[in-house]
Amino acid sequence: MLLDPGMDLTLRPMRYPDFYERYRAAIRNTWTVEEVDLNSDLADLAKMTDRERHLINRLVAFFATGDSIVANNLVLNLYRHVNAPEARLYLSRQLYEEAVHVQFYLTLLDTYLPDHDERVKAFAAVEHIPSIRDKAEFCFKWIDSIGGLDRLETREDRKSFLLNLICFAACIEGLFFYGAFAYVYWFRSRGLLGGLATGTNWVFRDESMHMEFAFSVVDTVRAEEPDLFDDELGERVAEMMREAVEAELAFARDLCGDERDGMSVARMREYLEYVADQRLARLGLPGRYGSANPFAFMELQDVQELANFFERRVSAYQVAVEGEVAFDESF
Amino acid sequence: MTNVMTPVHRRQAIEEAAARVITEPENSRVAARLLADEIAEEAASQGVGEFSESIAASHAAGLIQDALAAFVAARAAELDALVADAADDRFEYFGLRTVYDRYLLRHPVTRKVLERPQHFFLRVACGLAETVAEAAELYGLMSTLSYLPSSPTLFNSGARRPQLSSCFLLDSPRDELESIYERYAQVARLSKYAGGIGIGWSRVRSRGSLIRGTNGHSNGVIPWLRTLDSSVAAVNQGGRRKGAACVYLEPWHADVEEFLELRDNTGEDARRTHNLNLANWIPDEFMRRVEADGPWSLFDPKEVPELVDLWGDAFDAAYRAAENEGRYIRQIPARSLYRRMMRTLAQTGNGWMTFKDAANRTSNQTARPENVIHLSNLCTEILEVTSDSQTAVCNLGSINLAAHLRTPAAGVRAPADAIDWPGLRGTVRTAVRFLDRTIDKGFYPTPEAEAANTRWRPVGLGVMGLADVFFTLRLPFDSPAAGELSTRIAEEIALAAYQASAELAAELGAHPAYAATRAAAGVLHPDHYDAARSPEWTALRERVAATGLRNSLMIAIAPTATIASIAGCYECIEPQVSNIFKRETLSGEFLQVNRYLVSDLQARGLWTQAIRDAIKRADGSIQDIPQIPAELKELYRTAWELPQKALIDMAAARQPYIDQSQSLNLFMATPTIGKLSSMYAYAWKAGLKTTYYLRSRPATRIAQTTVAPADAIACSLENPEICEACQ
Repeated sequence: MLLDPGMDLTLRPMRYPDFYERYRAAIRNTWTVEEVDLNSDLADLAKMTDRERHLINRLVAFFATGDSIVANNLVLNLYRHVNAPEARLYLSRQLYEEAVHVQFYLTLLDTYLPDHDERVKAFAAVEHIPSIRDKAEFCFKWIDSIGGLDRLETREDRKSFLLNLICFAACIEGLFFYGAFAYVYWFRSRGLLGGLATGTNWVFRDESMHMEFAFSVVDTVRAEEPDLFDDELGERVAEMMREAVEAELAFARDLCGDERDGMSVARMREYLEYVADQRLARLGLPGRYGSANPFAFMELQDVQELANFFERRVSAYQVAVEGEVAFDESF
Repeated sequence: MTNVMTPVHRRQAIEEAAARVITEPENSRVAARLLADEIAEEAASQGVGEFSESIAASHAAGLIQDALAAFVAARAAELDALVADAADDRFEYFGLRTVYDRYLLRHPVTRKVLERPQHFFLRVACGLAETVAEAAELYGLMSTLSYLPSSPTLFNSGARRPQLSSCFLLDSPRDELESIYERYAQVARLSKYAGGIGIGWSRVRSRGSLIRGTNGHSNGVIPWLRTLDSSVAAVNQGGRRKGAACVYLEPWHADVEEFLELRDNTGEDARRTHNLNLANWIPDEFMRRVEADGPWSLFDPKEVPELVDLWGDAFDAAYRAAENEGRYIRQIPARSLYRRMMRTLAQTGNGWMTFKDAANRTSNQTARPENVIHLSNLCTEILEVTSDSQTAVCNLGSINLAAHLRTPAAGVRAPADAIDWPGLRGTVRTAVRFLDRTIDKGFYPTPEAEAANTRWRPVGLGVMGLADVFFTLRLPFDSPAAGELSTRIAEEIALAAYQASAELAAELGAHPAYAATRAAAGVLHPDHYDAARSPEWTALRERVAATGLRNSLMIAIAPTATIASIAGCYECIEPQVSNIFKRETLSGEFLQVNRYLVSDLQARGLWTQAIRDAIKRADGSIQDIPQIPAELKELYRTAWELPQKALIDMAAARQPYIDQSQSLNLFMATPTIGKLSSMYAYAWKAGLKTTYYLRSRPATRIAQTTVAPADAIACSLENPEICEACQ
């Protein structure tokens, strides 16, 4: 079974071909930080109000550390216990993607904050800014929750593992990041920070896949051990989700203040609740909030892009295209 | 009601309406009207009410040339009376927003607009007109969104430096340092005034070639192109869009393999260009070798400088002679290079396939051997002669075909009856006259550009909204009736354009290089395809023999990305890409929905949230939605769902009437080398002169946040293998 302790090396026959396909699809979507053009953002930043700049600085501070935290958990906890070589291929790839995200947000920070002291302050955010510290502590708590587990021997161990996995997929990548992305897209809907939005599109695409991979690990474990995911675990997930929503809301209070141009704490709450319900539903748990999505601009996220190549770099291409020259294939 | 709104409330109402265009496309008009109010208020705050006030304010702010200010001041009442503000109601929100964000003149300090949208159209018209009647004629076409000049003309008509041309084609630098740096400077000057650049690089020696002056070895073309990349990125087109350029290289150049890797996102960044576009300028000999699975020889242009200036049989003979003499750097299987070309297309969309021999064989400009087409432009629709001293230029404009449908268009007996042919011909005539006028009114950033443009006087009249015509007439894109109509439209436009140019020649004289054209010998473009059979062509040929032509080239199908947005129609000759999509531009992102589909579904009571979610989940496709009837599914296929053979066939059937070329995008969701190599070989055989982007789809996608899962029951945890709802 997937969570049996050990170091399985067998790729043929392959037990979980779906994980391998996810690995290959991820490779086809390789992007690099050098492709993102942040130049136009500087002009936008210069035009912004102090409050907007405050929001941006906080966001950058969060992003700069968020992906590093996820990468750490991946190495320290997930890779160790997911015992299938094809699943570990995916996790290796995910680790690389987290590194690219860290590099992207570092480049962003260096570009947005020319002042050395400001940069140092941004990295100190995890300790000094309460709204970011709270989110980080939430993450650390769940990293530590299985940090002492070398092997998943018992049912309780496996439940702890699932909680950690769900926390990173549903609460951190699936809620904290989704909240942060919403601010980025809110700026973009007003024609601002196109460079950040472009990079964020690509990060978002990767994060979506990470989340889906984690959920399919959960699905697999549940199929292999049907009674593992019991009501008690479900309640703990729901409680964890509630904590995450509150932590993200504290962040929103720091960022937004009063209603401005369609972004407010109240709206952010509805949005986070709406997203949280989606995560719960994906896990087969009852929705908790019943909120509707208040951000019409997030709808833009869900449809095909048609970039004018004069203006934006098109991100829709794949790498590792295969095959041989032929003249009689249909097209 | 709108006039009691506070600006803050109005802004919110606009954003809300704009965000809800999918639910009800009419919201787009609502948002546009509110935005029009906002623009009018902003202009009023700058003292602008009437058109003449707008021109006076813009002139005072230093944005407008004295001659235009004087022209308008002397005819203020007549011109003010032309302004039809009600024409603003034709705008969709995205179109008006684009006009507002990017096209309206703004005060240099306050950044407030100094003109309303209709003032903008009339200003563009007056910038090209000699009389009020002329201004009224062009303004009438623009305000009804029947015809729009290209963006540079919209940006700069009447400006102090009226650079009105869209495209510049620069010959490859000579194989020497001074010439390379001179080209960088030319490219920068042309980019600064909003021109797109095509530039050849095939004359520059390849890697390892000896440099006599220093006894060192050349690093080849890649480092030069890196510098070009940086230079192009540094020049911002008047703050309105980034500079853009495409480099053309012939596939016999020994650096071609590294050239094809310039846009890869892996590998050494010092050998990558993230901004340049790439195109292959392919002689038939290469395609024949690919077909025959033969060898292909790669040369250093320093050793065989003659190849660049030859095409057709002369090229084939010179290439084979050089090969037989063993002057190549090395040989590779032709198919291995072709495979790399396909890989580059699949992975970057770049590396456009353009065909040197088809381009030269049928061009009106290449009757004499010294006049050779060496490349196409940034969007692969312009094919004009270049040389060291001639930088080819093209002025573009596009007719909105959707605005030339008779009403009611649906229900006519034959599709051809639905087009207002006399109206279309009238639009062509006006368009050609004003495109010709831009040649004289334009400011040329370099003497090489001015020299070429006044000698050949080429223009590029194109179309947009072909897909709107097909939707309105309920013709599937790949149906025979759609093909026939498309070809008929192309022929009508060509006839009317040539007639207009002959008329201009009678008034003003033929263009100076007329004697060097094929037309002077009685050969018109359709003759190369035996496609000038109607009696009208015979009459036209006689007329041209008597008067000559004012313009050496007239027709080119440009991509129309921005102006189609303004006109609210589908781009040029393209099928729709998706029934719901977003458009990303410098002004942000906007939702677009196929309003023809919406009204069909509304009529059937099917435009529900569930159907909208299903379309979004399917990335804009309606094919797998059971409630939608088959005939709608056939009509509303997307570019990804149409056979690409049909797109190529339609383009090839139109080609006889397109004397330059067409920006033809091809679409393949999941490209493979096998499918691509078959497709491009077919395009070459069909006689296309050029192709443009290969569009494909990302391998993974963002998790949708605003779409409900398909069906909660389908997400069966007991059976994860069949659970597709959550994948």
